[in-house]
Amino acid sequence: MADKLFQTTPRETAWCPGCGNFGILNALSDALEELSLEPHDVLFVSGIGQAGKTPHYIKGNVFNTLHGRTLPAATGAKLVNPELTVFAIGGDGDGYAEGGNHLLHAMRKNVNITYLVHDNQVFGLTKGQASPRSDQGFVTGTTPQGVSLESFSPLATAITLNAGFVARSFSGNKSHLVETIQAAVNHEGFSIVDILQPCVTFNKINTFQWYRSRVYDLKDDENYDPSNRTAAWEKAQQWGDRIPIGVFYKVDRATLDEAHPASANGPLVKQGVEYDGVKEILDGFAVNG
Amino acid sequence: MNSFSIKIGGEAGQGLVSVGNILLQAISQEGWYLFSHRDYESRIRGGHNFTQFRLADEPVHTLEEAVDVLVALDKATIDRHRQELKEDGVVIYDPSVQGETIDEPGFVAVPFVEVAQDQGQPKVMANAAAAGAIWSLLGDDLERVNGIFAAMFSRKGEDIVEGNKKVAQAGFDRVRDALGHRDMPPKPANAGPQYLIAGNPALASGALAAGVKFMSAYPMTPSTGVTEFIAANGRRCSVIMEQAEDEIAAMNMVVGASYAGARAMTATSGGGFSLMTEAIGMAASAEVPVVVIDAQRPGPSTGLPTRTEQGDLLYGFGTASGDFPKAILAPGDVQEAFYLMGHAFNLADKYQMPVIVMSDQHLADSYETTIPLDMDKVIVDRGEIVSGDEAGPDYKRFALTESGVSPRLVPGSGPALTVAAGDEHDEEGHLVESAEARRAMMDKRMAKMKGVAEEALPPVLVGDDEPELVLISWGSTKGALFETVDKLQEKGQKVKGVHIKQVYPFSQDLEAVLQGPGKKVVVESNYVGQLEKLLGMEFAWKPDGCVRRYDGRPLNPDYILRELEGGGHLG
Repeated sequence: MADKLFQTTPRETAWCPGCGNFGILNALSDALEELSLEPHDVLFVSGIGQAGKTPHYIKGNVFNTLHGRTLPAATGAKLVNPELTVFAIGGDGDGYAEGGNHLLHAMRKNVNITYLVHDNQVFGLTKGQASPRSDQGFVTGTTPQGVSLESFSPLATAITLNAGFVARSFSGNKSHLVETIQAAVNHEGFSIVDILQPCVTFNKINTFQWYRSRVYDLKDDENYDPSNRTAAWEKAQQWGDRIPIGVFYKVDRATLDEAHPASANGPLVKQGVEYDGVKEILDGFAVNG
Repeated sequence: MNSFSIKIGGEAGQGLVSVGNILLQAISQEGWYLFSHRDYESRIRGGHNFTQFRLADEPVHTLEEAVDVLVALDKATIDRHRQELKEDGVVIYDPSVQGETIDEPGFVAVPFVEVAQDQGQPKVMANAAAAGAIWSLLGDDLERVNGIFAAMFSRKGEDIVEGNKKVAQAGFDRVRDALGHRDMPPKPANAGPQYLIAGNPALASGALAAGVKFMSAYPMTPSTGVTEFIAANGRRCSVIMEQAEDEIAAMNMVVGASYAGARAMTATSGGGFSLMTEAIGMAASAEVPVVVIDAQRPGPSTGLPTRTEQGDLLYGFGTASGDFPKAILAPGDVQEAFYLMGHAFNLADKYQMPVIVMSDQHLADSYETTIPLDMDKVIVDRGEIVSGDEAGPDYKRFALTESGVSPRLVPGSGPALTVAAGDEHDEEGHLVESAEARRAMMDKRMAKMKGVAEEALPPVLVGDDEPELVLISWGSTKGALFETVDKLQEKGQKVKGVHIKQVYPFSQDLEAVLQGPGKKVVVESNYVGQLEKLLGMEFAWKPDGCVRRYDGRPLNPDYILRELEGGGHLG
């Protein structure tokens, strides 16, 4: 069999055996393979944490940035070259803790990028501290009495901010994840996919088995309508014995790149100095004595 | 040089800016050289603000402390500034605001609002009364000022233009009737074509001339003028200015845009600059060119938001964790502001590193007349860039080279791929942890400093070759420094002025100056003597004295001369 265009690399990963990240990596590779894109059309911007290493193990352009800063870096790249298919990739600590403010504004701005959040409800790379997604009672090195706070709800937040495409998937369900990533990429606007991803080393509660026994596909409910924002917000509250996965909410609205008239003549990376424009500006400073 | 200074004081929101704009235009159009600085508080209404104009028969780049004319739109102006008045000075004030009539030589009462209303015009035209009153000291009629009214207000209707003219004439007549004809300040014989421009638009225009394609920023005084200027010209110059949610996002957007291949920049001030440093470090590690304007204001923390200081030099030098190549430029006037932006982008691209441009409130907000800015002198050098078609499948973004510079690939420009990381990485851009790889990559990045240092801009030198006194400064202190040199030379002192416009790395030419003849005094606007410390670190050198100012106000020749005298450095 010929190599896949978006083959995963033989490079040794820094992930633990059995890590939920492998499922995401493989699903991402399969999803892109079917999207009639070439690796050089794609830019993966990632953060810091075990999730942030993902792009190093797949073919594409890669910018592995800072903890929590994937979204602004991805936004900058997308604005100057809308022809790139841009992914932002990071964990729940990266996106929902360190990068929280950026997440709010990327959703408001409706930047046309796809944000994959590897949500394992724990800080993995720093060895097991509580994340904003940890369930109440979860005992970690920084929460010896157990997490007292309510878990952050990324999907309800995204729906509140009218993000363009809001979905959840599961690293243990490859076909669902492939399909969800493809739908996210095909959506014009900001797409967030919160991916349930077991951390086999530091989260002994939210395991593959724990998720597998709880998740159900929103598609199974034929009355579920992802254009109904209020219903989507209510659905986003559901967590515990039953956990919905699938597309919660979808809306078409103007994307940030469309809002900038400067890109009218094509991607800014292909534009040079606007000689006449600058000349006009300089002439405006002349003293007309 | 013959110069003439006018200070107009008032509350924020009182029309000070409008009167100021009329005078900026009128004075420069009339042919004088001009330098003007705004001193304002961090508020929208009330308080006490002033604008000072200094017009001269020679190019002028700094203020003087004493004024010829004081125009009081509020009571505080006379209370706080009357001691600055020169002998034979004139005070134009509004007795209804002052609460009294001042019967002293040179004091002329012009009730600005009443003058407007007497002419059947609305209160807001009090500004025109003030402008007309001031102009009676600069011209024999109001033709110049009337032309500006026409340009400013014709789209609001002819009656508005005519109303302003009538009110200005009434203001003019009040002062003329009280003082009679006085000698006008001397004008230059022939100044030639001039621009009137402040530091912020000069920096922004320089960036546009250099082909900046992306800017992201969060509004922060005194840098906001750059941001708004770029935003206003987005369509005309094909550039995106994206307002960010915070300075962290702004800097990261800039790094992302530059990674993708666009010339990208930001502008901020102390607190915002502090937030940006993490992403500046990432740009250094991933070898992404970025240009950062830091319009300095007094710190630490929020400090004095609308005042000036040169207090961020060592912070710029030590920006972000770890060792990495960088350059810091410090324009001394609007000419340097314009041209150094092009140089900053070229350095950033050529060495694929962060370049910091240190402006300050003094430069940002001061207007000056200057010879025309020439965009044909702005050369664009994008450095070593390869397309994805040229690069081939074995392309390595961080290939080890002798210069330390590896050709940069624009993602999406062809089949080859580019991988970059803020983590330590191998030649391909993938993460590594080995000691050998770390050393190799550090050596590669730091090797770039050799090239950066070799092309460091030399200092600008004025004055005597065999000086007894050498005055050294950086950035926007240039104008005050050079005029101080002129004044001392006029007194027969052998003195040299040294303006450093690249403050890191320093030009090796500085060594000769520092080790050369004369007593050395470093002049700068901060408490600890940051330039002095950095020169000491780089050249193992100590000066003989210093002049420092840290009260948030710009250095000027009067202040410097006083300090030199007090420090025993003169004669």
